[in-house]
Amino acid sequence: MKKRNSKRGNILTENVIFIVLNLIFLTILFLFLFSKMGDVGILEEKTAKQIALIIDSAKPGMEISLSIKDAVEKANKENREGKIVFIEGNIVTVQLKEGKGYSYSFFNDVELNKNYHYADEGNEYNFIVEAHKTGGAIESNEETK
Amino acid sequence: MKRLNKKGTDKIISVYWFVILFIVAAAVVYMAVVFYGEPYDVREIEAKIMINQIADCISQGGEIQDGVINGEGKLELTNENILSKCHLDFNVEDFKDWKTQEQFYVEINFYKFNKDAPDGLGSKFVEDIVAGNTNLKEYCDKKGKNFPVCVERDFYVLVKENPHIIKVKSIVRKTEKNV
Repeated sequence: MKKRNSKRGNILTENVIFIVLNLIFLTILFLFLFSKMGDVGILEEKTAKQIALIIDSAKPGMEISLSIKDAVEKANKENREGKIVFIEGNIVTVQLKEGKGYSYSFFNDVELNKNYHYADEGNEYNFIVEAHKTGGAIESNEETK
Repeated sequence: MKRLNKKGTDKIISVYWFVILFIVAAAVVYMAVVFYGEPYDVREIEAKIMINQIADCISQGGEIQDGVINGEGKLELTNENILSKCHLDFNVEDFKDWKTQEQFYVEINFYKFNKDAPDGLGSKFVEDIVAGNTNLKEYCDKKGKNFPVCVERDFYVLVKENPHIIKVKSIVRKTEKNV
């Protein structure tokens, strides 16, 4: 009787260890995937390019409201203080953690009324495209039409 | 003996199982790294937006904008003023050699409309306008994501009620941040 019990116990332990190892393995795999999916660098790049493309296709007078909820949440998680989005000249920079952040340029030569966003300002980056910085005869013709 | 064999088989199955798990994990990690490691390629969208902006700058409502061609039929847009008149800024961020090597190129060709030609293209009625890095043009024939992205579009426009075709070619390099 004693022998039988110890063998059963042995089999059970082996199976438990096997299952636990499998679970650990799968957990590590999923943790890796989730860490890749929510990577700050990727989010910075995505947000910066999104803002740059929106500005590229914008025209003076447009009011733009862009949801940057993911970026704001990430910045709050990283305890980021200060501007998370800022635009200098024609370069958009998104910085969700300490470091350089991610910069991307836009070619549309426009002036914005608000070229920054803080993490505690909410999930939407709202700005107005005010006017073109440069302009020649063509712009003045547009205005007179 | 039978018992020993069964135990041995179990162990082999267990090792086999972990080999499979390792292969699956390696595949998943590889796919994740490839998918999330590559930057978003937005160059084609940028090039298309640029063409739209130039088209808006040149024509409105199917007619050529005032100020593009003067009363004598001469082009007022030049290589020097195209960027300011069409509200383009080709400055880019200070990244690698981007400050010394321009990342954009734009070329505009103006053709008369020829109804007998299959593509409608007649002779050029004014000289081409170009701006940006002319070296990028030579990569347009080459295929591969490491080369600059070239987009070409044409549209019809009326100049003094005569149809013309305007071709716009836009090239965006920015390879290091998009590939």
